[in-house]
Amino acid sequence: MKITINNREYNMPENISILEAVKKANIKIPTLCYIEGKEPYGGCRLCVVEVEGSKTLVPSCAVKISEGMKIKTHSEKVRKVRKTIMQLIVASHGISCELNCLTCPKATSCELKTIAEEIGVTKINIPPVEKNLPTDFSSYSIVREPTKCIVCGRCIRTCSEVQSVNIFTFANRGPNTIVTTFMDEGMGNVDCTNCGQCVMNCPTGALHEVYHIDGVWKAINDPEKITVVQTAPAVRVAIGEPFGLEPGTISTGKMVAALRLLGFDKVFDTNFTADLTIVEEGTEFIHRFKEGGKLPLFTSCSPGWIKFIEHNYPEFLPHLSSAKSPQQMFGAVAKHYYAKKLGVPKEKLVVVSIMPCTAKKYEMHRPELAGDVDFVLTTRELAKMIKESGIDFKNLPEEEYDDPFGISTGAGAIFGASGGVMEAALRTAYEILTGKELEKLDFTSVRGLAGVKEAEVEINGKIIKVAVVNTLGKARQLLEKMKNGEVEYHFVEFMACPGGCIGGGGQPIPTTEEVLLKRMEAIYEIDYDSKLRKSHENPAVKKLYEDFLEEPNSEIAHHLLHTHYVARN
Amino acid sequence: MLEEKIFLKSDVEKTMDNYEFLGLKKSLEMKSEDIVKKITDSGLRGRGGAGFPTGKKWEFALAQKNDVKFLICNADEGEPGTFKDRFLLENMPFKVLEGIIIAAYAVKANFGYIYIRGEYSKAIDIFEKTIKEAYHRGLLGKNILGSNFNFELRLIKGAGAYVCGDETSLINSIEGKRGFSRIKPPYPVQRGLYDKPTVVNNVETLTTVAEIMKYEDNIFAKLGTEKSRGTKLVSISGDVKLPGIYEIEFGSGTLKDIIELAGGTKDELNFVVPGGLATSILKYDEINIPYTYEDLENAGSSVGSGGMIVVSQKHDLIDILLNVSDFFVKETCGTCFPCREGNRNIKEILLELKKKGYKEEYKKIIGELREAILLAARCGFGQSSVNFIYSVLDKFFYEEVR
Repeated sequence: MKITINNREYNMPENISILEAVKKANIKIPTLCYIEGKEPYGGCRLCVVEVEGSKTLVPSCAVKISEGMKIKTHSEKVRKVRKTIMQLIVASHGISCELNCLTCPKATSCELKTIAEEIGVTKINIPPVEKNLPTDFSSYSIVREPTKCIVCGRCIRTCSEVQSVNIFTFANRGPNTIVTTFMDEGMGNVDCTNCGQCVMNCPTGALHEVYHIDGVWKAINDPEKITVVQTAPAVRVAIGEPFGLEPGTISTGKMVAALRLLGFDKVFDTNFTADLTIVEEGTEFIHRFKEGGKLPLFTSCSPGWIKFIEHNYPEFLPHLSSAKSPQQMFGAVAKHYYAKKLGVPKEKLVVVSIMPCTAKKYEMHRPELAGDVDFVLTTRELAKMIKESGIDFKNLPEEEYDDPFGISTGAGAIFGASGGVMEAALRTAYEILTGKELEKLDFTSVRGLAGVKEAEVEINGKIIKVAVVNTLGKARQLLEKMKNGEVEYHFVEFMACPGGCIGGGGQPIPTTEEVLLKRMEAIYEIDYDSKLRKSHENPAVKKLYEDFLEEPNSEIAHHLLHTHYVARN
Repeated sequence: MLEEKIFLKSDVEKTMDNYEFLGLKKSLEMKSEDIVKKITDSGLRGRGGAGFPTGKKWEFALAQKNDVKFLICNADEGEPGTFKDRFLLENMPFKVLEGIIIAAYAVKANFGYIYIRGEYSKAIDIFEKTIKEAYHRGLLGKNILGSNFNFELRLIKGAGAYVCGDETSLINSIEGKRGFSRIKPPYPVQRGLYDKPTVVNNVETLTTVAEIMKYEDNIFAKLGTEKSRGTKLVSISGDVKLPGIYEIEFGSGTLKDIIELAGGTKDELNFVVPGGLATSILKYDEINIPYTYEDLENAGSSVGSGGMIVVSQKHDLIDILLNVSDFFVKETCGTCFPCREGNRNIKEILLELKKKGYKEEYKKIIGELREAILLAARCGFGQSSVNFIYSVLDKFFYEEVR
């Protein structure tokens, strides 16, 4: 299809929007309410362009190209209107001394700032609007500051279209329109899963995690405390981004070095307890499989997913693995085994997690789990602390994790990507069930960014059907199908966030599909390069059973490493 | 051309005995395509405000291949200064009903809604009774008047949002969603209520349809001018001696004549809003133009919904502007930034203007806001929300105060 963009002719595929066509022509149009891959919303109007024959400007996100269309993307008229709209947005963003950009949590990832610069807004002729809306501190995971909200609806649409959770809504009318939760109850009092995808999509500082940074600094600086830190699999492939490294740069060694420089006494790896999770969960699967227990077995590592099923599908709760998540297993082992080993009371030990996830902050507070983990920092918070300390992350020499919880396998690493838990579990379950060595370790059909992935494995002549799901929207779809008996599986992995933990709500912003793919690639690279790639072969895990836990699913293992769930409807 | 039958709401049953539904009866003997053609030939344009050719809309809808189509009568009249639909709903409910059924038959819609503004409690009462009685008499339901046409009609009460008069917001509202406009395209005739092809017509439009179909020849097309066919109900209010509803044949007189018809002004005339507050004003010396779509558009205004407000010189202009601005600030839906934030800022500027008097420096920012809202707002509400205010500023402040 022939169209003209800024007096140049282009041949474009049919059925694409003006915005997509312009992008193909290597021109960038500013957008604010637009979410790639989602239905256009047409609220911010920043993406308007001039189309010959149209009286008004045309929103490029919402209008498809047509044969012979003549488009001007940055004409005088367009630039003027964009500038005015941007001024209106900035004025409504509560720009005053108390809300200064300098102190905003999103200061380094603020889309408003970026776009204002791109559009060339240097002066605001419009008086700022005072909103004076109270900040919502009701959630363990996410803080909402409505004063900074520009009512673009991206959180609403992400929560409903991607996650099918629908905790946000618009309220009121006109300039009084706000984004709020059901009956204005606050995020901690509605069916929020704490997944943090709203934070990832918020262009301003109106949504951010509950910061644990101050508490962590206090613990580090307290000579009475021993601080141990664990790092989740998906953090190492993303932590470099805030320091200018390419997405997918494997920064494990630098991260360990940085954590030591921050002052942590021991730096451990959540990958270790990921291996432990696989041994416990794999054993649980084998039990259920052999003895006719509740199948399919659902994985339970993702706390967003757990809260989702507790709210929406309590009838499926018996399907969940009782194994705690790697974060909580680590907390339990640290407080009940490691403290003893060190000969200190567990109160002296402060356990900090570095997680790609906002829901982990909620998870550590669950009554069933509370007390084992003391603080959870997101990847973004860790980056902030490293910056605060003036550490030149990019040029740090690499260091190794501490013993004994620094030893892990490739199977633990792939927990970071959607499909990883399943793949790791299959490697272990296969070998334990058949007693034979698994020849091909890679279950490539469960990898990638597709919403639902399926695979079949033959074990002892029986076909085992597995599925891997990422995003809660897709989880809902699959559970509905399961309810109607349309699909049957033996084992299903669920992750709340797109792409799994690499796309978690605590990861650096922006996390685009392109970024996700790079992080995912890095995760599998770590696996390939590992000497050990099967959880049950982890020598430290084996030793832990010998010294302390006896055997998988033993009484003590059950006491420390397993949990239960609650119906929340 | 509209005959008048005033009655009380208790009279629905009795009065329906005397109403013959001639237009409907004739229509049911015709093919859908022929009805659409007759309406197209009549030159009828939508009477809600946008003025889109009714026949054309029906033609698009009829061409849609879908098992389910909807016909919606838009009775969410909310344009300030406009009250003609209320008059029709309260006084000629059968003719409105007749128009609805004809339209549904013409576009092959088997389900319909009449969406009445919540504040119109009397109209709602009357229409509820009308629908009930119509089912009773076989005018709604299966095999209408012995034909093989089936049509179900339900009444929906609006909750009180001006923007729900916009057809896409109205559709969202019926679906139980927030009254936000939808992005067009797709247009409602392609994908409307519950994603099905949907025709939304105004009350006056449908009433006129019933009248057009009643006659063998196209008397409607013979009235008015070439581009503005037929007659139009004009609601006149403000500083005239005889405010009310007048049926005006297009081109039969000037705006000045219409004001005279309404008894003339009480004090010296200042300006006229010809088509509701979403249209631009015409000053006292601009009203010697014929009342037609084309002449009003040439003068920079519009027929709009026909809500003519006459304003004499005894009012303070800033107070009027603030009043109107307040309306648009209260009623903007909040979806799109230029309309939501722009209208808020216009009001701020007007408040300043009232406090400190006109200042030259307002002009630049006012101009910028106007352009952004006019060119970039998401729906018709936004785009027209600045017409009144800016035409007053242009015609009074820029010239005289400068």
